[in-house]
Amino acid sequence: MTPPFRRLLVANRGEIAVRIFRTCRELGIETVAVYSDADADALHVRLADQAVRLGPSPATESYLRADAIVEAATASGAEAVHPGYGFLSEQSSFGAAVEAAGLVFVGPAPQTLASLGDKLEARATATAAGVPIVPGMFDPLPAGDDSSVARIEELAAGIGYPLLIKAAAGGGGRGMRRVDDPADLAAAVTAAARESEQAFGDGSVYLERLVEGGRHIEVQLLGDSVGNVVALGERDCSTQRRHQKLVEEAPAPGLTQAQREELHGLAVKVARQVGLRNAATAEFLYATDGSFYFLEVNARLQVEHGVTELVTGLDLVREQLLIAAGERLSPAVLGAAERAATPDRHAIELRISAEDPARDFMPAPGLVTRWREPAGPGVRMDSGLEQGWQVPGDYDPMLSKVLAVGPDRETVLARARRAVDEFETGGVQTTLPFHAWLLTHPEFTQGRLRTDMVARDWDPEPLRAAAAERAADAVARHIAGVEATPAGGPEPVGPCAHPAHGWKPEPWA
Amino acid sequence: MGMSDHRGHYRMRVAGAGDEAFHRDPAEVGPPQGRPPEVRVLAQTADDRAAGIQRYETSVEGWVFEVAVEDEPRALLREKAGQGAERGGPKGSDVIKAQIPGRVVRLWVEEGDTVEAGQRLLAIEAMKMENEVRAPHAGTVESIAVEPGSSVELRDELLRLA
Repeated sequence: MTPPFRRLLVANRGEIAVRIFRTCRELGIETVAVYSDADADALHVRLADQAVRLGPSPATESYLRADAIVEAATASGAEAVHPGYGFLSEQSSFGAAVEAAGLVFVGPAPQTLASLGDKLEARATATAAGVPIVPGMFDPLPAGDDSSVARIEELAAGIGYPLLIKAAAGGGGRGMRRVDDPADLAAAVTAAARESEQAFGDGSVYLERLVEGGRHIEVQLLGDSVGNVVALGERDCSTQRRHQKLVEEAPAPGLTQAQREELHGLAVKVARQVGLRNAATAEFLYATDGSFYFLEVNARLQVEHGVTELVTGLDLVREQLLIAAGERLSPAVLGAAERAATPDRHAIELRISAEDPARDFMPAPGLVTRWREPAGPGVRMDSGLEQGWQVPGDYDPMLSKVLAVGPDRETVLARARRAVDEFETGGVQTTLPFHAWLLTHPEFTQGRLRTDMVARDWDPEPLRAAAAERAADAVARHIAGVEATPAGGPEPVGPCAHPAHGWKPEPWA
Repeated sequence: MGMSDHRGHYRMRVAGAGDEAFHRDPAEVGPPQGRPPEVRVLAQTADDRAAGIQRYETSVEGWVFEVAVEDEPRALLREKAGQGAERGGPKGSDVIKAQIPGRVVRLWVEEGDTVEAGQRLLAIEAMKMENEVRAPHAGTVESIAVEPGSSVELRDELLRLA
């Protein structure tokens, strides 16, 4: 096969840059990495054919500099730019700048990104396509001055409590507030608008009814440039904390074939309405009464795309590149779409981040002194690092993704548990303990997922305390082993036998 | 309670697990539940070496722990000697002070000797263990305040390095 492009630049870092380079290499596409000073020695840089420095470590001076990235692409002779996820991936101005430089942007058309990036516009689009949305507003709230408070309270009363304040430009839970009591409304609106202004440069917020106890289910979409759009199955992303996904799986446990067909159909309707080209994901809320409400479209490759790949057998990055090169949806994609409501495999993804799950998932950057990944049957690792890597504090703390696949959910959970157990890390705390706990949580293992489960049930202290006892035992056992080593034997380590210690022990009876 | 009762016992502090110390007798720790966790010996800092502390790293169920270990007699001795004895060697200082109370059992240098950094100066015996005091930097032994057999208390002056 002729490669769709001769050379491609990935405007991203970490595991997703590595992931995209892998497909490029399989397709015979030369690869160009970009990097900040913090990433000069990063895995994604070393796996690329060439690498271009963007600037200092802060993202605003490196990975968010559209001008520098387009210049790097032009200078390196790249024909196409893949944005990955996050950073500039959904900024229509970046896609437009790439196209203006005569290069191919691997993603939806800039005008599609612009219309989907605004959640209010996306709500209007879904409604126009006949897709249900969570009851709420279509326009931003008036600015929160005294004269508008009465109007905001009136709008809120019309929607009903509890409700959510959301940022029109939002994502990742920023600019989002839950309000249970009308008395808290005005202050929450002000806070959400301020947070949204800081995060997105746009303080527009709106109100939506809070659907409690629901699940977050999303649909993978692919579209080509002649208007074909298909759904490639759904992913359940309900295991979250503060609206940040921790675990995703496909298919969503417990849905019937009819429900899957309904959900996939809704997603395709929204995608057709915006003329989707390339890859995107439509997110839905699955309420306890069985109804689906459209939330938003993420017009990019998702972090969790791998679970869909494992279930469908597709390489979504490959399909993205072929579509970007002007090809129609491949027979493999059309075949996978036909089987999307009757999946015969199950897959799960665990996000491994440099965060301390005992301290409210606080970022824990630092030197990775030990890193041995799991492998073996049904396990896939997507990682952006190796042992000895200094995790920078400048970016998202996600390091790696553990994916497991198998014929059914039970097999997959066993594989995931085995993979977590096999994973050996040191130097930085990761979210592995959370996953070890989740994979034995009764509700989770029974497939009863809820977006509020982690907030309700995650109680790290007893788990950590028990593990600390076992750690002390392990060290004591290690010392006993060293003490039992005959004089002149191997490895003189341990506090009693280490020559560096500078003191000599008596022979202890 | 005699200190000799603690022979072979270790006191461990597990980073982040609060102030509580874990006490372990390696001879009495049973077999692990399942696969034994990997234990890595961490490089010793000068302060830890002076304080007789060795650190290890291990992970259990994904929790990453740094475990600081000292033997129980020494820990008790340190406690007896008061707070603050654990850290802060004499590095950079010209007055070399006792980091542990005990009895001077050896003296390897004389006044006027030139010494290199890390060279052995003297040894203090405490709890029947010899604690070697080494030169924190190169220099000349200006004066010696002790002789073999001298009893020293924590932070007593041992010698001066010029």
